[in-house]
Amino acid sequence: MPTEDKPEVADATKAAAENPYTQHHVVQKGDTLSKIAREYYGDAMLYPKIFEANRDILTDPNKIKPGQRLRIP
Amino acid sequence: MMMKRTAWIAAVAMLALAAGCANQKGPATQAVADAEAALAAFRDDAARLLPDDLSKVEASLASVKDSLAKADYKAVVAASPGLSNSIAALRDATASKKAEWEAANAAARERWGAYAADLPKMVEAIQSRVDILGKSKRLPRNVSQQAFDDAKAGLDWMKSSWAEATDAFNAGNAVEATDKAQAVKDKGNEVLGLLGLAPSS
Repeated sequence: MPTEDKPEVADATKAAAENPYTQHHVVQKGDTLSKIAREYYGDAMLYPKIFEANRDILTDPNKIKPGQRLRIP
Repeated sequence: MMMKRTAWIAAVAMLALAAGCANQKGPATQAVADAEAALAAFRDDAARLLPDDLSKVEASLASVKDSLAKADYKAVVAASPGLSNSIAALRDATASKKAEWEAANAAARERWGAYAADLPKMVEAIQSRVDILGKSKRLPRNVSQQAFDDAKAGLDWMKSSWAEATDAFNAGNAVEATDKAQAVKDKGNEVLGLLGLAPSS
């Protein structure tokens, strides 16, 4: 349920933010979450993992901006 | 007449010898009891810190106790000073070693905090990536199947070794704990490399 997921997502995001071993990707022009997921995971369909780890700066998985620093869990 | 005199002298000599032995029984028994008590006072520390040296002293003590059991009190009394010196030397060496161990353990306890703060995050980050790659239809170009398999095995080793390190620390063995923790960190950096993640500096 969405209302139950929100705290978990927030906790996951916070934990990822505090973890120095989490990889990061700076968004380039032409990047999409699918493209980034393919680069780091080999599978574009895993883009929700990146979206969920960056819910504090992303509101829509289709809207990312060059220069954004994304966590790659 | 001559025979009677000889027998008399022999009898007196036997009595004197018996009296002499009897005179040494008390000191011999006391010497063994003292040696056992002195060794018991630090035996546990010696067994942990200087087991080989302890074995030698215990062998000497066993030999003296054997002489006592055979009523060879003269041998016991003769061997006691040497045994006493050996026990004193072992006691001093054990005390010195214990002081060294406690200093090293105190330093390791201070280092432990950094490992305890860092390594769970390292394991967490690797676990996250392994879980995600495990769901991927294909691996990224910079991660071979062999590297992924090695990374999974490495992660399992890290988790079990970290648990051992934590147990060692909780048991008071901070030196052992930090040695294991450093091994976990080294393996973690290796696994990060296998997964295409930059190792920490």
